[in-house]
Order: sequence, then structure tokens, then C-alpha cells
Amino acid sequence: MPLGIYISVPFCRSKCTYCNFASGVFSNTHMGHYVDRICTDIVKIRKVATDHRAVAPDPVDSIYLGGGTPSLLPPDQLTRLFAAIAQQFNIAPQAEITVECAPGTLTEPIVQSLVACGVNRVSLGVQSFIDKEAASVARLHTREKTLADIERLRSAGIRNINLDLIAGLPHQTRASWNESLQQAIATGVPHLSVYILEVDEDSRLGRELIAGGTKYHAHFVPEDDLTAEFYETACTWLNANGAQQYEISNFARRGFESQHNLKYWTRQPYLGFGVDAHSMLPATEGAESVRLATTDSFEHFFVEAEIKAVRVSAAEALEESFFLGLRLNRGVHLDQLHEQFGPELNRYKPIITELAGEGLLLQTGNVLQLTPRGRLLSNEVFEKFIQEPASTVLSR
Amino acid sequence: MDRAHIRNFAIIAHIDHGKSTLSDRLLELTGALSQREMQEQVLDAMDLERERGITIKAHAVRMKYMAQDGQEYQLNLIDTPGHVDFSYEVSRSLASCEGALLIVDASQGVEAQTLANAYLAINNGLEIIPVINKIDLPSADIPRVKEMIEQTVGLDTKGAILVSAKTGLGVPDVLEAIVKRLPPPKGSPDSHLQALIFDSWFDPYRGVIVLTRLFHGTLRKGTRIRLWSNGKTFDVEALGVLTPKPVEIDELVAGEVGFMVANLKNVADTKIGDTITDDARPAIEPLPGFEELKSMVFAGLYTVDAHEHTALREALEKLRLNDSSFFFEPESSAALGFGFRCGFLGLLHMEIIQERLEREFNLDLITTAPGVRYSVTKTDGERIEVDNPSRWPSQSEIARIEEPVILAMILTNEEYVGGILKLVEEKRGKQKNFEYVTANRVMLSYELPLNEIVLDFYDRLKSISRGYASLDYHLAGQWESPMVKLDILVAGEPVDALSIIVHRDFAYDRGRALVSKMRELIPRQMFEVAIQASIGAKIIARETVHAIRKNVLAKCYGGDISRKRKLLEKQKAGKKRMKRIGKVDIPQEAFLAVLKVGENA
Repeated sequence: MPLGIYISVPFCRSKCTYCNFASGVFSNTHMGHYVDRICTDIVKIRKVATDHRAVAPDPVDSIYLGGGTPSLLPPDQLTRLFAAIAQQFNIAPQAEITVECAPGTLTEPIVQSLVACGVNRVSLGVQSFIDKEAASVARLHTREKTLADIERLRSAGIRNINLDLIAGLPHQTRASWNESLQQAIATGVPHLSVYILEVDEDSRLGRELIAGGTKYHAHFVPEDDLTAEFYETACTWLNANGAQQYEISNFARRGFESQHNLKYWTRQPYLGFGVDAHSMLPATEGAESVRLATTDSFEHFFVEAEIKAVRVSAAEALEESFFLGLRLNRGVHLDQLHEQFGPELNRYKPIITELAGEGLLLQTGNVLQLTPRGRLLSNEVFEKFIQEPASTVLSR
Repeated sequence: MDRAHIRNFAIIAHIDHGKSTLSDRLLELTGALSQREMQEQVLDAMDLERERGITIKAHAVRMKYMAQDGQEYQLNLIDTPGHVDFSYEVSRSLASCEGALLIVDASQGVEAQTLANAYLAINNGLEIIPVINKIDLPSADIPRVKEMIEQTVGLDTKGAILVSAKTGLGVPDVLEAIVKRLPPPKGSPDSHLQALIFDSWFDPYRGVIVLTRLFHGTLRKGTRIRLWSNGKTFDVEALGVLTPKPVEIDELVAGEVGFMVANLKNVADTKIGDTITDDARPAIEPLPGFEELKSMVFAGLYTVDAHEHTALREALEKLRLNDSSFFFEPESSAALGFGFRCGFLGLLHMEIIQERLEREFNLDLITTAPGVRYSVTKTDGERIEVDNPSRWPSQSEIARIEEPVILAMILTNEEYVGGILKLVEEKRGKQKNFEYVTANRVMLSYELPLNEIVLDFYDRLKSISRGYASLDYHLAGQWESPMVKLDILVAGEPVDALSIIVHRDFAYDRGRALVSKMRELIPRQMFEVAIQASIGAKIIARETVHAIRKNVLAKCYGGDISRKRKLLEKQKAGKKRMKRIGKVDIPQEAFLAVLKVGENA
């Protein structure tokens, strides 16, 4: 069983208003210290895994630098990171090596250093090709810069490119969304991600939307139903243009599906490094797994060396198999789950029947998939597959 | 102490006119409490009382006062609740006194509650000393206030005492006036025991503690007493007075006020207004004025979490130990499950009980719309009392409906009269009297259906008059009205907990307002939900909550599965806090909406 490696790079030139992730604007000195800490963790991670009765398998077939904005790392730091990984792990020859980049940060030296480090896939956080929409959420790029970046990457030999788009940004209209989609298709990139704007307390825009205010262009955010329509348009157009949907938010030409992200949905092992990074490893024996996590606070990250471990019970692992696996268009195979988890699976039969009855799930033999409507309402579906947390029973 | 040196008095005042502050000053001046011991507003001991600035339970404090004539007097201050919901308790507290201080704010003037309580005091034969408070305020207008007191209460204000309870100015004059102008109690320590219960509460260590005023006879430790209303007998274990710290004494004699402990377990036994007598040598008759308390306002109480039903019952039982004036009985609702039908003295009383349940017992409650008790005569001649919409007979079975009516007294400034008249007309009021009590102060008397008062009347009165209107009311009989039951249907199912009884002419507007409010409050579900209002089989209003289109989690930052799980758990827990009716999740606020519509109707 191969292994994925994720490295969290929480640095940004400016923080986007919709961002609900622990990222921020930090100095170059910080970046140096940060890479130091990651290199230390890379060296000790196998021992940490063993101490918690978990296995970190070999070889590594995917590496993913996510953000934040990993392309902000100076070339020498990027080189150090990849060198540290190569020293501790066997990297498979065909490994998918992705770096997330903010459009407009890809200078020639950076592209060259990406290539030199073996990077063969780049994910660009475009979000919108309409400059006004991008600017309204504090993205710093323009359509022009994005297109130039794509060309620069291709000239350097990186053709496996993903573009992120967000449906539901302030000022978005049917016309502007169609234009963004058409532009994304016209670039000819083999992979596209379409996310729906998340509204929660963890982002500035989300808080403003909940409060009903007008900061961060919150009052220009389209209505829920319109955003749902944007998503449906994207599914139709992208599928029609050869980018097949393979996950709720992901579309790819055949053979270009993100190998790294697939590990998350299929519960394959991965290691995470950096602030608020998570690892998922199989336990030495049994159906349990072990999750490792670092602190989610940048301030604590440098002083708190500990990597915390949580054991995921077989019951929780089964829940995860549903709420992660169902995200994929190919769905989950009930016979495989039965093999893995045994009769515990039977508990879900009435839930599956109910959800199928409501047109949210589709069962074909042993294969269980979300319907198109189920994808848009996937949280309503997934909620049914998790047990009530013990903490909601209030103590008096 | 001989009776000639005892004075029993109450203080009558509108909220915020300074009753508590003046009481504190009196305690301080007589040395009952040192300034250091004074907690602001000593008499309002319950947290809720202090927060709301009102007195819920009556208290009685004994003070020693060395008067200018060189003699020592025993002054018993009997504190009274200040709200219209508790007017019966007020009347019993007043009945325990020979005199009262009528406090009026020097800039606000006489308010409706002051007036109502002053009339009560006059009817009880009390001697009244007008006290004009807050004379240090720049807005004080003493001549105007005197005029108002003379015009409305009909008291001579030549002897009015001018004070500032805040600074202490004039307070010694109040003490002197109590001694000189209030009559001492009558009655003989040797005659048959007649003691009035004017308050009681449950103490977890001592059982029920009774506050009582002795009119005749003597109460001693060990006396076997009998309660007039139920004939039950108890042995007196302890007697005492509040100074305001409790101090035990061996006997209470005619004319005195104090507390009694007698191994009583249940406050329901010690009814306010009841007479205590000596079992061995009983009085011939009870003291006058006793009435059984009647609930005026009714509502269903339910817990959000069905598992807490037992906890709610226990909490209600505990509260009832201390407050026998509300009643509860089990009821069940198709929508809300098992709960309790509760009767209260009034809206404030209901709010207090609700708040105490939530605060002291940590319960999450759903309260159904408060209503009143109707007398319904059915076509077969049977007459029934209905206080619960779910027991409302079908329209074809009803021959005649009578609803409770109150007589409301509203005092306000001239400029707000127009708005208030519009309000009382809208609330189906009938004018009984319209009177200028001073050049720009108006007193309105209206008969109003109690049903129209229980929802939002008081709030609207306050907002129309910007706070310059006061209200007092008492029950004044019944009148016949064409009331109908308005049902709310969610996804085709009637939700019993949302049903209300309304006047036929208002049903259409109320129905429309209610469904539109419900549409805002019910979150979008997986399917379209119709919200309808109906009378019998006839739908009179409809709104639609459209089906939810999207609920998707986006990116999985660095494989953080626990974040996704937490979000799903939070979503699930959020739904659990709602009430599921049929297949629709209805949030708690939707049930409260019934209370709020009409505000802008």
C-alpha cells in the first residue's frame, strides 16, 4: 500500500475573505523556522507512528504542498523540503507531486525551482476569471496574469494543471459564472475543482454573511438557489467538455484525477506535516486507524513539538468510509465494506433505503452512489451516517 | 410590647418610584442594619426581584425606633408586591396594616398601579401618609404631583412629606409621621386567636415559613394551631421576627407581625388570606377577605428534549413548594409530546415561573401561546370551561362562548391618548370612563377582553406612550364573544401547540401574520413545506417554505477528516434541538412566534 504526503504551507500575501483555514501573512524568517520544524517532524514521524501502533507504508506515490500559498516559499526552502522527504522516504518513479499556487506568484525562478524539485502538477487558486469578483474577496491576481502563469507552467513542462473555481462569490451572476467556466474550459487544463462558497464562523466573509452585514461585499453574495444553479451548470458543462466529474467538487480528463486527493476519499494512508496537518495511517492490526495531528495554531506550532494521536474505532472508520467514499461518483462498494467491517454494516440498511427513497442515493447491486441532487445535499445525506456525538447529551 | 407602641405599615409605590430605597433608609436609620451590612435593596432578596426591580414576595421587617417623644416604638414594615398580577397578595398585606406610606415620584406623578393599590388601602381602612420622593431631581414638580394626588387618590396633601430616599433628606420625618399619624393596632392578647397569613414560603431546612399578623389572641411556641380553610392542625415549633435577620422569640401577641414555623410541609396548606386560630380555643369566625386564588392565564410548558420531561415535573413540584399560586397538570401534545398545562395569576407571573425554570433548573422550554379560560355552552346545553385550545369543541357544537373581561385603568399624558384609544379599540375595548385628572393627565377606564391583554398589550401600551402610561386591571366578569379556534398546519398536519383562540374578526389577519412569521422561522427542509392557517376545515392563509437546494462541504484541507466530522455532528445536533413534527424540523422560536405576531399587525 503506497503512502501520500501532505505539507501544509500556511503563508499568504494577503488573506482572502472567504478563507476559513489557519493561514496568514508571515515574514520570510518565519518561513525558515517553519521549514526547520517540518524537516524535524519528517525525520521523527516513523517513530511517532510506531509509538502509536500505526504503520506508515512505502513507497510514497503522492506529495502535495497545500496552503496557504506554497508558491510563496523561497526556492531554497522548497528545495530543503523536498530533499528532507527524499531522504526519509522512497518516492515512486511515477509519483504525483502537486504544489498549490496563487496565480500571479509564479515567477520564472519559482517555476524553475518547482521543476527542479520534481513537481509535476500545479493547482491554481483562480476562484474566478472575473477580475472584479476575484478582487472583491481579496485575491490579488487578474485573468491576464492567470493565463500567463498557465503558459509559463506549460513551457516549463508542467501540463497537469488544476484550476479552482468558487461558485457563490460576491457579485457573481449567471453571465459572469458562465464566463468563468468557459474561460476555464478554454485553457484546456485537464483538471478543474468547483467549490461552493462555505459560509461559517471561521471566515470573515462567512461571519459577515451570518450577521447579515455589508462588509466584504457580503450583500453581493448570490442567493443559495442561484449558487446551487451555478454548480449544476458547472457539472453539465464540464462533463460535456470532457472533464468528467469524479468527486463532488472535482472534474478531470481521464487519467488526470488527483491521486493525492483520492487517498482522502478512499481512506488510503497519508502523512501530513506542518501547522494543522493531519495523518491517517492503518493500525498495526485490526480495522482501526490512527490519526495524527499537529496544533492548528501557528503561534503554538513552534513551541509545541508534540504530535497528537487519536485512534479511530472500526465504527468511526465505517462512518468515514460512507461520508468520504460517497463523495466520489463511483460511490462505495457495500460488499467491500462488509468484508472490512462485518455485520456492523447492517445498521445502515434502513438509512440507505430511506435516502434512496428520497432520491438522494442510488443503489445498483452492491454499489451505492449519490444522485446529482444528493451531491448538492450531500451534508444532509452524510449526517445520517454518523452517530450522535456523546457530547450533545448535556450534563446537568 | 403594649399595642400603643406598635405601628404596622406598608409602602405603596409604582415601580422605580423608590420603595426599596426608602425601605433601606428606614432600616438604616432605625439601626436594623448598619450601612456596611446593607446590600442595596435588602428587601428584594430573590435574584429575579433585584434584576427586575420589583418585589415578588412580601416581607415583614420589625424595627425599633426611639421617637422624639422619648419612647420606643415597634415599627413593622410590611413590604408588598408591586405588580397587578399579585393584587390579591397586596390586598392581604394591606389588610395586615393600619397605615401605609404612599410614595410618589416627584417628577413622574401618580401611576395606575399606585392608584389601584392606594384605593385598596383606602378600602381596607388604612391611614395613608403621602410621601413625595426624589425631590432632589431637577425635574421634580412638587405642586403638580400634589395636585395629582389630591385629584386622583383624593388625599389631602398638606401633610405630604417631601423626601429624597437617595440622599436621606426628609427620611427622619417619615419615621416621626409613622408614629404620630398612624393608629396603633387594636385587638386583645387574651381573646381567641385570629392571625392572618399574608405570605409563606418553603425553607428546605424548616419547612414552610408563614408570615402572619395577629389580630386577636396570642401565639406561643407549642400552641396547636388550626388553619381555617382546611381545618388542618399543626404544632408551633418556632416563632420569630425578621429584623431583617430572623430572630426567634417565644410569643407573638395581638397587633404584632412575625413568622411562624409549624412543621408544615406544603405551602399549598398555607393559603394567603387564611386565618390561623388556636385548635383548643378557636375563634368564632375567620378574618374577612379570604379568597381562593384563581389562575387567569394558561399555557402549556414542554421541554425541548423529551428526555427532560421528568426533570420539568420535578422542577414544577419544587417551585410549587414555594408558590402555591400556580397550578400544573400533565397534558400531552401531538406536536410537543408530554408536558404540563399551567395556570398563572397573570403574564408577569408566567414569565417569572418560566425564567426560574430555565435559570434555576437549567431547562430548555417551549411555551405555547398563553390564553384565558372560556365558558362554552354547547348546543346540547352542557356548559364547559376551556383553557386549552386542544379541548375546544368543534364549531358546530358551540352555542355560546363567554370570555373573561377585565376593567383596565390607564393613566397617561394627554399627547398619547390618541394612540392609546386606537389600541384599546383595536383590542375590542369598551370605554367606561374618560377623565382629565390634571390639565394634561388623563385617566381612561376600559373594559377589555383578558384574551387581548395576555399577548402584547402591555408592550404596545408602553411603546405607544413611550413609557408614559401605566396600567392596572382587575377581573370584571364575562361577555359573550364569537371566538374561533385558529389552527396552524405544517405540511398538511395541524400542529396542536400552535393553535390559538381568537375573535372571529381577527382570525384572518392573525392567520396570515402567523404563517408568514412561521415561513421565516422554519428552515428550509429537504422538501417543500406548506404552512397553512385554518378555521375548522377552511384554509384562510398559506405560505411555502421552499425545499433546500444545497448543503455541501467543499475542500478537505490537508485530509482533515475530523473537521468534516465535527461539522456534520454540529449539523445533526442543531436538528436535534428542533422539534420534529411529521417530517418537518421546527425550531423552538417558531413556537414563540405565536406570542409575537400581532405586534405589527
